[in-house]
Amino acid sequence: MRWKGLIPFTLLLLAVVVVWLTLGEVFLRKTIEEAATKFLGTQVDIATLDVNLRDVTVELRGVSIADPFDRMRNIVEAERVHGVLEGRPLLERKIVIRTLALSGMRTGTPRRTAAAPAPRNGFAASTLRSLDAWAARLRKPVASFTPIDTIRSIVLDPTQLATVKRALEAAARADSLQRALTASYRALALQQVLDSARSVSTRLSGVNPRALGIAGTRQALIDVRRTLAGIDSARKRVEALARDARTSVAMAEDELHALDDARRTDYAFARSLLKLPSFEGPDLGGALFGDVSIDRFQKVIYWAEMAQKYVPPGLLPRVQPGPKRLRMAGSTVAFPKAREYPGFLLRRGDVVLSVGGKNAATGDYVAAITNVTTMPALVREPMRFTLARRSSAGVVASIDARGVLDHVGGRIRDSLGVDASGVTLPSFPLPGLPLRAQLGQGTSRIDVLRLGNRVAARWTMRAPGVVWQRTAPARAAAPGFNARNQMEALAIRVIEGIDDLEVVADLTGDIAKPTLNVRSNLDRVLAERLRAVGGEELAKAEAKVRAQVDLIVDQRTAPLRAKVDSLRAEGEQRVAEARARLDEEKQKLDERLKALLSGGGIPGLPRRGER
Amino acid sequence: MLALLKLLQSLLKELHSDGTPAQIALGAALGAALGLTPIANVHNVVIVALLLVLNVSFGAGIVAWGLFVPIGFLLDPVFDRVGHRLLVETPALTGIWTSWFNAPLVPYTNFNNSVVLGSVVGWVVLFVPIALLVKFLVVRYRATYGERVRRSRFYKAVTASQAYNVYRWFSPE
Repeated sequence: MRWKGLIPFTLLLLAVVVVWLTLGEVFLRKTIEEAATKFLGTQVDIATLDVNLRDVTVELRGVSIADPFDRMRNIVEAERVHGVLEGRPLLERKIVIRTLALSGMRTGTPRRTAAAPAPRNGFAASTLRSLDAWAARLRKPVASFTPIDTIRSIVLDPTQLATVKRALEAAARADSLQRALTASYRALALQQVLDSARSVSTRLSGVNPRALGIAGTRQALIDVRRTLAGIDSARKRVEALARDARTSVAMAEDELHALDDARRTDYAFARSLLKLPSFEGPDLGGALFGDVSIDRFQKVIYWAEMAQKYVPPGLLPRVQPGPKRLRMAGSTVAFPKAREYPGFLLRRGDVVLSVGGKNAATGDYVAAITNVTTMPALVREPMRFTLARRSSAGVVASIDARGVLDHVGGRIRDSLGVDASGVTLPSFPLPGLPLRAQLGQGTSRIDVLRLGNRVAARWTMRAPGVVWQRTAPARAAAPGFNARNQMEALAIRVIEGIDDLEVVADLTGDIAKPTLNVRSNLDRVLAERLRAVGGEELAKAEAKVRAQVDLIVDQRTAPLRAKVDSLRAEGEQRVAEARARLDEEKQKLDERLKALLSGGGIPGLPRRGER
Repeated sequence: MLALLKLLQSLLKELHSDGTPAQIALGAALGAALGLTPIANVHNVVIVALLLVLNVSFGAGIVAWGLFVPIGFLLDPVFDRVGHRLLVETPALTGIWTSWFNAPLVPYTNFNNSVVLGSVVGWVVLFVPIALLVKFLVVRYRATYGERVRRSRFYKAVTASQAYNVYRWFSPE
């Protein structure tokens, strides 16, 4: 042993302690910023950090969390965050916060510099990307107010019509059936049978059995009977051919019936080329208020996905990316164990939130949050939060929010309800129209329930004093300004006549592929008025389109109909002809047989009726 | 460049020190841990303490650290695979990891990081081969080129520097 080596080792440790005391808080602050940024998927900044090891408390000042959907805004800012930690879990490198008090909080504040985007390969960035695709799937087409009276005609390309395509395919199949029928007819080998029958019949015509003798007559009987058996067999083949022919004709006729279905598709296709407006309420609701509804739901779904990722149910080992360093980060695995501390737990947090300004929502709000953890199965209590106004004296507006994130069991069960009344609602443009909705003060309520991968959410918004602002001022100010057409003018007039707007949006189904249904009092009124004015023109335009489709389809399907008729006729004719010829030869042979047996006196020969 | 010169200086001094080949080999094998595993980890504090306290060549440890750093970077994907295999894909070990993960202070070793665990395991496996290889090379060097290098001006210039005196503090006794 080299004990003097302890001197530099002690000095080294002292140096580490000195560095920790001078730079430790900076290092810790950076670590917390990095971990929080990774956890939330958006930039988190902390101005200062004070750690008091004796009281096991931390105090953060100037905390800001950037909005993942708007990098120039902070979703929330807190002047002071004071946390009291539990000491023992720290020995296990776990953070259990007994109480957390946030004060001086503001929401939606602008940033001086844009927040860093989430790492491209990170979970948050991929969630944002998938949510963009998710939202794009939900978006409804912009409402069309195309002037119906200007619709003259459309140029239809026959090859685009489903009926024509199917008719061509069916014609090819009819040709194939016809060839098969001809081949089957040839395969009957009727001519050989008929020739053979004719030869036997001719040979025995007028022959006296007595002249043939016993042996000759017996041989003649054998020949007649064999030929008759051949005719019977050919007759059976003809009947089989008749059945095949009927089946072929039935198949071809089915193809003709299927063309009617295809024609309905073609009507819809041709109608879509006209870009006729839909006068259905749900379509208009989705087109006018779909975007604004999706924005609300998209944010909720983002946080739900983050919660699912970082607060998974169960106690299985969890693999996370390792810390950033020069060396490869690798992956870090957490091994939760029942009745032990979770990696992170905030037992209770109290938030005082001030909304500044001089509007109806101005005031202090109190939020409480409990059991925030990365391992809910260890805490065995769902995370809960509430938000309410501290004082309601003389207050017009109110905001109430409550939520439960229950990841304790094997199945996620999250619920959220936010009810805001008397608050200033955001304004938004109406897609497809030169109008912007200034909602003013009103009520907004969102309820979300998530069970596993199923979601049911409803956003209700009511703006009793909505103002509609035209967004084409130059055009509007121009002399003789008119909306683009009669339909658009009508839509604008109807919308501007509504001053109490109520929108209800429902999002239901699988969280990855939900269904969005938006309706409002506006789209109901709008639909009725548009239908009343434009319905007749719409019907005319549709009739014109149908006539055009019918013309093309009738021209292109005529050869198929002719082929089917020909197939039917040919089948019937061939079968009838075959039957007639076989019957004729059979009749002759029967007469020969009768003549051979009518001799009666030749012993050793079978009698009549003993065929 | 300076770091490379320092490394060369340390290497020469160590090869001509009073230390036995075994002391140099053990020092190098311990120092390899500093290069093979991510440096900012608790186990490396123990390694440094051992290098200082045990009667092994401290200089050889520092040289090995420098030499094994690039090797560590190169082998990181292998260490990651090994660590991941042990942490996640070996159910028989899950009980041990779980008890360690929930024991006081042990989680600060970062044993639950795949690269840290894989590299420590890699180093443990390579400890004896490194020691034997270094011992063999030192013996061969001293028997062949050692005396010639000792008499060279280059060697004298290197060993005349002030740093050499500090270094001798930790050379094996």
